[in-house]
Amino acid sequence: MKSKAQVSERFRDFDANLTTRPWIVIGMGLRKFGQIMKFKNYGLWSLIVIVYLFALVRFILFADSENYPCMDMGDEYQRCVPLDYYGDFFTQGGTRIFLISIAAIASGGVIGNDMANKSIHLYLSRPISRLDYLIARFIPVFLIMILVTLVPNIMIFTSMWSDSGLKTDWLLDHKWLIFDLIVQAMVYSTGLAIIGLTFSTAIKKENPASAAFFLFIYGSSTICEIFFIALKVIEVDGADFILLLSVSHLLDCISFAIFDAKYYVMASGFPWETDISNIQIGAVFTVIFAGCSGLMYWMIQQMEANK
Amino acid sequence: MKQYGALKALDDFSIDIPEGKVGILGPNGAGKSTFVKIALGLLTATSGEITVLGEKLTKNTVDIRRKIGYMPEHDCIPNEMTGVEFLIEMGMVSGMSLSGATERTHEILGHLRMGEEKYRLISEYSGGMRQKIKLAQGLIHAPEVVFLDEPTSGLDPNARREMLETINGLTDVSNTKVLLSTHILQDVEMVCDSVIMVKDGKLQMQEDVKTIIGEKSNFIHIRIGGSKEDFIAELKKKKITAEDNGRVLIVPYKDDSTYDQIIDATIKSKCPLYEMERTSQSMDSVYQEIIK
Repeated sequence: MKSKAQVSERFRDFDANLTTRPWIVIGMGLRKFGQIMKFKNYGLWSLIVIVYLFALVRFILFADSENYPCMDMGDEYQRCVPLDYYGDFFTQGGTRIFLISIAAIASGGVIGNDMANKSIHLYLSRPISRLDYLIARFIPVFLIMILVTLVPNIMIFTSMWSDSGLKTDWLLDHKWLIFDLIVQAMVYSTGLAIIGLTFSTAIKKENPASAAFFLFIYGSSTICEIFFIALKVIEVDGADFILLLSVSHLLDCISFAIFDAKYYVMASGFPWETDISNIQIGAVFTVIFAGCSGLMYWMIQQMEANK
Repeated sequence: MKQYGALKALDDFSIDIPEGKVGILGPNGAGKSTFVKIALGLLTATSGEITVLGEKLTKNTVDIRRKIGYMPEHDCIPNEMTGVEFLIEMGMVSGMSLSGATERTHEILGHLRMGEEKYRLISEYSGGMRQKIKLAQGLIHAPEVVFLDEPTSGLDPNARREMLETINGLTDVSNTKVLLSTHILQDVEMVCDSVIMVKDGKLQMQEDVKTIIGEKSNFIHIRIGGSKEDFIAELKKKKITAEDNGRVLIVPYKDDSTYDQIIDATIKSKCPLYEMERTSQSMDSVYQEIIK
């Protein structure tokens, strides 16, 4: 009886000692990252291993520090390792198909599962706002994408430095590259994570959301490329802008801008020239990603109001 | 006021909710869940303002939820987690540390008398256990007040009784205030100290449960022969109003002299008195009267 009374008193006087909102959000994000990265997620782990093996073989074992990061291709164009890394597997020997697959698997169920089992209502009844929730769900996908974008590129960078004999001069000459690699990885990771989460929110089912995201990114890329080349062949003005309708080409445009390289599309074995200004690229990027974020927020708000 | 297009979910709804265990009672679609969601800051009122635990919600919508627990009406717990994992996650989403959430989870599950099953996947839980876990997540962060939205929804009578006892037990032991939204009258009678009745988004009544069941609802049921009209007229002369519900006449009980006045009226109206019984009008009849 005495022990029961003590338990009740401790239960009644329990001090939850709650932390602040930013820590709640970061904690939610990291726990979800841990859940997604469990070893039982064989598909995701297989793709991550493939990306690392591919980076090792394609960009480290057969790379040359003399031509790192970029080498000239004729008078106008440059071929850069960090740009090729994100490129199409079939035309540039890049990891794009794997990166999109990883983003699809990682993001598919993140919000969709919460909406399907309605646990989103419980999360939103806690001391976090809808925006906090979206950030908490963005963090794990972003971190997974960083793991397969930035980390391999830093490994390639380190390998090239090692290849140069670990010279301090080489490091100082290439310190700008670290910043560019970080910005480039953040743009790709943010872009793919936000669009992946939008599909997850809209479709509310993990596997269909992943499949729809993959088809959307890869499908729109292929379709836009076909139309782009067709319009180029018949010399239609403004054909370049069709590339902005494809997320992967839009991200490539930003990537080339980060490295101050002239953007071209590799198709049929040779580069196709484009002429899109940075302002146009920035505007489309802003519209698409603000639109996706706004759409997710709206869909969650609607679900909340309607149970 | 809360308006969805042309539909007014809450209209002219001004109320000061007392401390303790309060029930919001009303038929389906009365606006109970809307009220709870507005109080939680999940929905914004079209007009008007709401103060929860002394803080205006317009200014402090998110942080106020540190002091509030919420148990939604519908099933909303993830099947792929165990009871323990789910409660720890909910504790941490509320801002608790891992050790704090773990400790509290095991304490609450102990109060819920859940043994080994707390380590089983929630998908294997019965309806009653799922409701208990839903209640537990609302209390995990030791809130000052917990909002319970239809907590006995979908439960069989035994599970319902057990759930209500659990609510009483857990909230008593943790000294948590309760706002219980339900359309089931017995839930309010069993758990709450006071009740707010709502219909079509409008406040109909706010009263102490004991007052409704006890003092205020004392009546005498009378069955007589002869002319009811004459009998009622005699009562009127004594300033007693009688209501004819078809089967019996209902007369409010003031004190024992009411019996004498009734007998006197039967004599004067020459109506034979067959039956006279003092009854407490149940909350059910008050509720039925309000929602009809």
